[in-house]
Amino acid sequence: MARFLTIGERIHVISPTIRKALEERNPEPIIKRAREQVEAGAHYLDVNIGPADRDGEELMPWVVKVLQEEFPDTPLCLDTANMKALEAGIKVYDRKPGKPIINSADAGARIDMINLAAEYDAMVIGLCAKDGIPRDNDERIMYCTEILERAMEAGLSQENILFDPLFVVIKGMQDKQQEVLEAVRQISEMGLYTTGGLSNVSNGCPRELRGLIEATFCAMAIQCGLTSAIINPLDKLVMDVIKTADLIKERYLYADSYLDL
Amino acid sequence: MAYKMPVQKYSGKINEVTIGNGLKLGGESVLPFYSFDGDIGNKPAIGMEIWDIYPESWPKCLQEIFKDVADDPAKWANFCIYNYSPDFICLKFEGASPDGLDRSPEECAEIAKKVAESVSVPLVIAGCQSNEKNAKVFTKVAEALADKNFVFLSAVESNYKEVGAAVGMAYGNIVAAESSVDLNLAKQLNILITQLGIKPDRMVMDPGCSAVGYGFEYVVTTMDRIRLAALQQNDTTLQVPMILPVSFETWKVKESVATEDDAPEWGSQEERAVGMEISTAVGVLGAGANAVILRHPRSVEVVRNFINQMTE
Amino acid sequence: MALNGMQIYKLLPQKNCKECGFPTCLAFAMKLAQGNVEAEKCPYMSDDAKAKLSEATAPPMRTVKFGAGDFEYALGGETVLFRHEKTFVNRPRFAVMFSDAMSSDEVDRKIKNVNEVNYTRISEEMHVEIAAFKCEREDKDAFISLIKKVTDSCPKVVPMIMTENTEIAEEAVRQFGDKGPILFGANDQNYEAMVNLAKDHKLLLGVTAAGKEKLYELVEKIQKAGYKELLLDAGSRNLKGTFDDMINIRRTALLSGDRTFGYPTVAFVCDMAQDKMMQLACATLFVEKYASIIVLSDIDYSIALPLFALRQNIFTDPQRPMRIEQGIYKIGAADEESPLLVTVDFALTYFIVSGEVERSKVPAWILIPDAGGYSVLTAWAAGKFNGKSIAKAVKEFEVENKLKTRELIIPGKVAVLKADIEDELPGWKVVVGTEEAATLTNFLRNYKQAAS
Ligand code: SF4
Repeated sequence: MARFLTIGERIHVISPTIRKALEERNPEPIIKRAREQVEAGAHYLDVNIGPADRDGEELMPWVVKVLQEEFPDTPLCLDTANMKALEAGIKVYDRKPGKPIINSADAGARIDMINLAAEYDAMVIGLCAKDGIPRDNDERIMYCTEILERAMEAGLSQENILFDPLFVVIKGMQDKQQEVLEAVRQISEMGLYTTGGLSNVSNGCPRELRGLIEATFCAMAIQCGLTSAIINPLDKLVMDVIKTADLIKERYLYADSYLDL
Repeated sequence: MAYKMPVQKYSGKINEVTIGNGLKLGGESVLPFYSFDGDIGNKPAIGMEIWDIYPESWPKCLQEIFKDVADDPAKWANFCIYNYSPDFICLKFEGASPDGLDRSPEECAEIAKKVAESVSVPLVIAGCQSNEKNAKVFTKVAEALADKNFVFLSAVESNYKEVGAAVGMAYGNIVAAESSVDLNLAKQLNILITQLGIKPDRMVMDPGCSAVGYGFEYVVTTMDRIRLAALQQNDTTLQVPMILPVSFETWKVKESVATEDDAPEWGSQEERAVGMEISTAVGVLGAGANAVILRHPRSVEVVRNFINQMTE
Repeated sequence: MALNGMQIYKLLPQKNCKECGFPTCLAFAMKLAQGNVEAEKCPYMSDDAKAKLSEATAPPMRTVKFGAGDFEYALGGETVLFRHEKTFVNRPRFAVMFSDAMSSDEVDRKIKNVNEVNYTRISEEMHVEIAAFKCEREDKDAFISLIKKVTDSCPKVVPMIMTENTEIAEEAVRQFGDKGPILFGANDQNYEAMVNLAKDHKLLLGVTAAGKEKLYELVEKIQKAGYKELLLDAGSRNLKGTFDDMINIRRTALLSGDRTFGYPTVAFVCDMAQDKMMQLACATLFVEKYASIIVLSDIDYSIALPLFALRQNIFTDPQRPMRIEQGIYKIGAADEESPLLVTVDFALTYFIVSGEVERSKVPAWILIPDAGGYSVLTAWAAGKFNGKSIAKAVKEFEVENKLKTRELIIPGKVAVLKADIEDELPGWKVVVGTEEAATLTNFLRNYKQAAS
């Protein structure tokens, strides 16, 4: 079985530093954040440029090139709602380190992203949602299979889709956590791959608790079948727990020094 | 529907390690002998075991073959090379054993040097029962044979620092990591040895051996899992050629030591012992061994024939 | 062949009625493909769809049988390529080759050898299970009388009748059908008659063709003719080619999920070399990977001891390690004064200990109590290897009557048991042995010297 896939989340337009760097086309801060994440062991880097309605088609290729020149061995996850920007980004993307991931399609307005992924032989994150957070798991699985059907029609095989059941915040939605884990299990039992944004879970919690909450949720989700997550790789606890969970899942052989590798 | 052959293509590849001047081990990127899948790398090598002392404890039928030369390791080595052309000689310092002759490291180094100077093939230096003593012996022998690319069998959990530092770092020889049929220790030892600064292509491993019938399933399973991790999961810590000292194990089991008086119904002792040695050697080769160590000339001949047929 | 979720989805009514407990037919189909749910959960599936599904979920490799009575054996049924993934289930069986072209001296010699190799190793009886009979002279009577002679003299072997001549096959099957023989020799020309013969007598049918491609076509035809008790031979008679056949036939079944090759295979080691040691080498490889019947030219202890031992090891269930029978074992010419050791009933431990005792040349006794089949420390930690279990074994196996010695050597790793055992066994002295079996040889020599 393949190792758990980690997608580093720290190149995000929400961060003022990144926003400024994107606006000014200043590579330095972006490269710095990328380097930290690569060194911490992230497999993929997410690149969120926001809606980028105005200049997305030019911005996405720029940032893709900046990152790939510096990190030729690290594949990217292109994150924006702007389809044109995604297409432009994929066109300049060098797939030597791995296929690009499109973040993200859903079962509603953004279902066409599936076709985009099929057209360009990319991977795609499929949000099991239509508008807003799904009501229950029946709805989640409905959306999941709607996305899957669209993918089959478009000729995109299931290994290329990471289904995201939509992780929800613990503070305020504590009663939904088990349901999300159950959704991970149900999707996994269909033989599909899954992912989710771990920081969604700990949003708004005290800083010193966030890593613990995310790591614990992640371990529990991995047991339900979770195959990947969008995370902050600088959080050593989360990374160590993922390595350990992979170990317990027998995805690689144990040795006393496994955390050093 | 026409037949379609399945293929197992892997991302990992076993390191190619050079012993002595040009004996190459490893390099394969498929399961052992799966030439229909891809590159099977270098032919597995065969070594012959000799001792620094006369092998009093070997079965008579085996002593008989070497009795005229076994008093002198250099003569013994050349006798083997001349008559049976092994790929390497394994010189085992049984005489260093604190329970036996307790030969000093300096004396061992003297002998090793003499043997090395007289032979045309690489050496694999093996120690005695005591890991503590072996560390001292290996240090001196490695110094005497500096930069020869000879293999030292072996570094274990309790002495890897000393053995690694001397054999691998200071004197430019090749460390064999020995883990007695313990998968996780096998991996850990490899990690620890590379952490000493030894390059992955300057080491080999002995995952532990036993004779067929004596828990051999553990040997096979350990080797299978090491190879699958190396090839399938691309686990770089385990992409190390494996050397199996088959003869250390097979010549002490009942099937080989029982004389014809002890077990008349079993027939020739020599043939039984050779059978155990051949079957064990092929058993580990089939599970991924890149080199085997043997004692009996007949075993060498048959195992070589087997390897040639499988690889040519 | 196994179906994926989409292929199953197409077989479903696509009503999305949720009666199966899933929100959509596709969700149900995906889960079916993973084998995580029963097909019956959907009440609306057509019979045709059900048939296709059950065909797709059958095991990848058939289990077939041959032989009769006490000598009936199962072959195949494997689900994994490596024993650690689960376990191997049906061990390969060994055959010795006879032919009607052999001199009667040769036949007699082989009969003698087959009967001589017969011994027990860890509660398993070891002997050649099959006598293969190659019909080379196309002389029906000579062939039948050869089979008769050998099967009369070797009551434990099941015959494998090897001929492509259907008339001779028919006669042999008529005469020896009650032994559950293997009928070997269905080829492209004769397969219809051979299938009928095998069907009538419920026999395992050996199918042979030149190469995997031709074999594949032939098996497809035979399956269409409705017969599935098969043993495959892709025709290679050399080592490398046979290895290729064994690996790829097995992988086709288990990795590709293609049941056309989901049958056991036979390796004709007898044709790979004249030298018996070379045959031993070839047979060793095929015990590991992946023959179900291994045909040798002949047998003696020098090749039987390693081969049977190897087979016993490789086909041990990894979840249930081998245990040695409890009792008191005599090593060498031990008498009532000889040293007495105790260790656990985990077969590997026993073998290592007994091997070292043997090597020391000090005759001795080894007592094996019921220790749950664990290694020394594990058994001790689990409370299975202690004063009670050891004292029980001393009584049960009447050690006090058999031996004069009242000293018991225990493994050094469980030195803590000394007092415990001495409490349970009044009049006995416990001697702490070595931590590792490897140093037992010296220990025993010194122990004996001190005693005398
Ligand atoms: S019961 Fe059958 S028809 Fe109804 S949803 Fe389930 S699979 Fe579809």
